[in-house]
Amino acid sequence: MTDVHIPDGYLDPYMAGATWLIAAIYLYFAARKTPRDLLPRVSAVAGAIFVAQMLNWPIPGGTSLHFVGGAFAAMYLNSPWAASIAIAIVLAVQTLLFHDGGITAYGANVLNMGVVYVWIGWALWKLLERRYPLAGAFLGGWLGIFIAGTAAGLEIGLMPTIGYPLSITIPAMAIPHFLLGIVEGAITVALVATLRRYGMMPAQIPVLAAKPRP
Amino acid sequence: MSKRYLTLILILLLISPIFGVILANAVGYAEPLDNVADMLDLNESEINWTPFKDYTVPGLPDVVGYIIAGAMGVAVFILLTLLFERGR
Repeated sequence: MTDVHIPDGYLDPYMAGATWLIAAIYLYFAARKTPRDLLPRVSAVAGAIFVAQMLNWPIPGGTSLHFVGGAFAAMYLNSPWAASIAIAIVLAVQTLLFHDGGITAYGANVLNMGVVYVWIGWALWKLLERRYPLAGAFLGGWLGIFIAGTAAGLEIGLMPTIGYPLSITIPAMAIPHFLLGIVEGAITVALVATLRRYGMMPAQIPVLAAKPRP
Repeated sequence: MSKRYLTLILILLLISPIFGVILANAVGYAEPLDNVADMLDLNESEINWTPFKDYTVPGLPDVVGYIIAGAMGVAVFILLTLLFERGR
């Protein structure tokens, strides 16, 4: 069983190196942008996402998926930077302990799930949070994972060594993620709705809401 | 870390093999990337560095191993959270 995570062997050395480099530079800034007092919350969310990712949702006769959680992390932590750190920790534990995602592909996995997914989800959430928070949560999860899957197709298709053009690799990843992303959106909105009900989203907690966390 | 948080994690851990092992085996779990890899003839490299590959524990049945592996992962996050809380 492999995963949505890219394993070793799929990316050539150039793509692996380039994605590692971009991810490392990004994570350096993300770590600086994450307030220290938010870190316990970041790792606690990462732990919950790690376990949630173990719950695979098998869809009979088709393509399966599991919850990824990048958009949710951004919404709950009220910071896309902190959410990226959370996803990067999850990916590191998965890769090192369980061989879930490759070491050479770690950079690409961080970029897809921890950067692209997190920021698309965050942007849609911020756009809709005030008037339609639940729509924002749903669309953030859905379209975020769709674009993240598309990004993985782009990375695979950009490598000349693979020998398949982008016109094949991008739709092959984009179409199933567009459909499966609906489940990601549904789980994200369910989590956000539940937490809002108990007054646990950042906007409802004065200490967190007061501090601007861009 | 609240008691509620730890309870939630424990429940998720205990039910995880239902989804991650039993149902996954029942339907032939395959994610989009797996299917694309088949289509494009991409092969995963053989190098392995961990005895707990794919959330298994050597010598244990998959269902039990999945829970133990999950618990090991969770332990890392709990330790990290405790460390961060002390450093705050």
